[in-house]
Amino acid sequence: GPRPIIEKDPRSTIPDLFSHVPMAKRVPLSQAHKDVHPAVLAAGQQMAAFNIKDSIARLEATLLAFAKVIEEYETPKGNSLSRHLIPHVLNPQIEYLTECRPMCFAMGNAIRLLKARINHIDINAPEKEAKEELLEWIGILINERIKLAEFVIARNAAEVIKDGATVVTYGRHRLVEKTVLKAKESGKSFNVTVIDDPFEGGGQELAKTLMEAGIPVLYSPNLGGLRPKVAAASNVFIGGEAIFANGSLNAASGTADVAMAAQRTGVEVIVLCETINFDRERVSVDSLTYNEIDPERSTTESFRLLFDNTQDNYIAGVVTEFESGGGNSPAQAI
Amino acid sequence: MAPSHAGYAPSLDKLVKSLKGNSLEQSIESLIFLLKRRQVSGDDCAVVTAHILLQVVARSKWSDVDQLLGRIQNAGARLARAAPHEPVIGNIVRRVLGLIRDEASEDRNADDLGSETASEIQSLAPSNPPPAQPQRPPPVPILTRSTTISGGLPVSKSMFNLLSVASAGDSPMTGASTPVSQAQGASVHSLRSEVIDGIEEIMDEIQQADDQIASFADIQIHPGEFILAYQPTKTVERFLVKAASKRKFTVLIASIAPPQPGATEAPYAALRKKLNAHGVTTINLASNGLMAYIPRVNKVIFGAKAVYQNGGLLVDSGACIAAEAAREFLKPVIVLSPIYKFCPEDPSDEAVIGELGNPSTFVSYASGPQVEELEVENTVTDYIPPALVDVYITNLGPQTRHHFASILADHYKVEDIGYSLHDGEV
Repeated sequence: GPRPIIEKDPRSTIPDLFSHVPMAKRVPLSQAHKDVHPAVLAAGQQMAAFNIKDSIARLEATLLAFAKVIEEYETPKGNSLSRHLIPHVLNPQIEYLTECRPMCFAMGNAIRLLKARINHIDINAPEKEAKEELLEWIGILINERIKLAEFVIARNAAEVIKDGATVVTYGRHRLVEKTVLKAKESGKSFNVTVIDDPFEGGGQELAKTLMEAGIPVLYSPNLGGLRPKVAAASNVFIGGEAIFANGSLNAASGTADVAMAAQRTGVEVIVLCETINFDRERVSVDSLTYNEIDPERSTTESFRLLFDNTQDNYIAGVVTEFESGGGNSPAQAI
Repeated sequence: MAPSHAGYAPSLDKLVKSLKGNSLEQSIESLIFLLKRRQVSGDDCAVVTAHILLQVVARSKWSDVDQLLGRIQNAGARLARAAPHEPVIGNIVRRVLGLIRDEASEDRNADDLGSETASEIQSLAPSNPPPAQPQRPPPVPILTRSTTISGGLPVSKSMFNLLSVASAGDSPMTGASTPVSQAQGASVHSLRSEVIDGIEEIMDEIQQADDQIASFADIQIHPGEFILAYQPTKTVERFLVKAASKRKFTVLIASIAPPQPGATEAPYAALRKKLNAHGVTTINLASNGLMAYIPRVNKVIFGAKAVYQNGGLLVDSGACIAAEAAREFLKPVIVLSPIYKFCPEDPSDEAVIGELGNPSTFVSYASGPQVEELEVENTVTDYIPPALVDVYITNLGPQTRHHFASILADHYKVEDIGYSLHDGEV
């Protein structure tokens, strides 16, 4: 028969020293497992294409897709939901999502919680009741750990911003954006310096949004002149992708450089992060332990990691929806 | 040097040629224009400054040493003011002032002190000439010729002769004793030609520096190492290629910005091709942040735009990120800098804050009215404090900042150290 077309492995250009780091991959719809639910297929595609990008957006998309899966789930005769749903229905969805892009820590946490919840359901519980309970639980999770968390973190962090302050942030993070807008709403006047990653460019969007809200913005297109820029700041606000058990921060690549420069010039770095992003089991001491290769910017000509690791000694405080504290204390509290 | 300003900038050769064709004033004005537009930058500033000063010596009217010093100070200050971000201009001006002072005092002392003896004494001063380059020009060009007083020679040097590498033996000597009435003119004439020789030696020094620095590459770069090269300049490129001819290693290349949209070549394509041909792996990092990569890196290397007397550096923006990250993981930071970039002064406050460049490289003003109001600060130079630098590799070999005072004393006259941009105000 005809020889199968061998597709070029997108990893073939990855330098050997980074070969252990995972990378998102666009899985053609035709190759997806037949058991993958259409809602999950759509979410996976969006994640692989980085249309749904940050950890919380991915978490929400995952939970909403799983809610669809559960809604349409029917327990086969002779099985019980609590024994059948995870291995035969959920696991293939999870595998597919992981194949599209390595799971973020928030997704891992939520899936663990969901599985525990399912295992808790009485074997003899009626299916309708069990499904309703699970869907309600997912709704609560989204409300409390995502929506409410965002509101509370922005409110608490905004209090840190003093009248006349200069706030420095790096790139664009949803929580930092909400925080700064919240502080502006409360009538404070302050400046924001947005330091951008020129290979990413999200900071430019943030700068425009803040300007439209009437906040004076100084925009730096790159990390040039970083030291004097952070030295002039009252605080540095950073959004986190995850926080590890040792208190170190997983965040957009370049964050560690900004945090280090701030700490070395005596400016406090405040990390904003929902507790669902905390990992209580894993520790990270460098950026090559838990990371991802940027599939868009890693070609034969260039290479890029999506995240870096900031050690807790560079972090003055972490604001979560439950409590705020210095260093890794929130990590211990959870 | 930012890799962006290639296309429209005149090549150095063309520029130097046009300097010779124009009047002195035209040349200075056109260079000032190019400096202001940053169409001449980095290492080229040193070369072009030396060329202009040579023209000043050769073509301007002066009748004694003080006048000549004044002419050089004036022209030098105009150039330096046009490019305050290029301290190397001031360095070259100071070097030329220093050599004029030397030549003048040689002239005065010629009668009672044999110039042979003088040159012998002086030749002991500079230390550690690189082993590969025995003909390194002495830092402060000293008379090695015995023709200090070559009286009676008519002033007829053409521009070609002025720019050709003239050795003392080339000048025909009449041997006739100088009539007293011509003494002043003869002394001006001989001073002129000695100073021109001296400036040519400085030009040679500039031209040979990269090769001399590269001769230390294989000592610094070891087999199997991962080298982070931040925005490799010509000096760094030559260094890496030289090391690549000896051994295999990996180079991670970082830069401040992604290639311009529509760029025909990938960043550092030529360098990567050369290194790859030697079997050296290259990786372009698409990242400003470098902390992520530093744990895998053995050494960080970049070129300096200037080295201040405190050991601090003026560098392309972003290099400070590399140095800071290296310090965090205790990786050595190796700075490549020819001696002529060593400034006999501390960094100005402006240098420490960083020079602001053209923001439109990064922000498209076509993208909406909001952008026009956005204050964009694109810093194009960084200052790196001395504590972040481990070693300076110069054309005179590796240096540490503990020896800067003697290097600077070898190259600059105390009188000229105070020379600033505001001297010689027109």
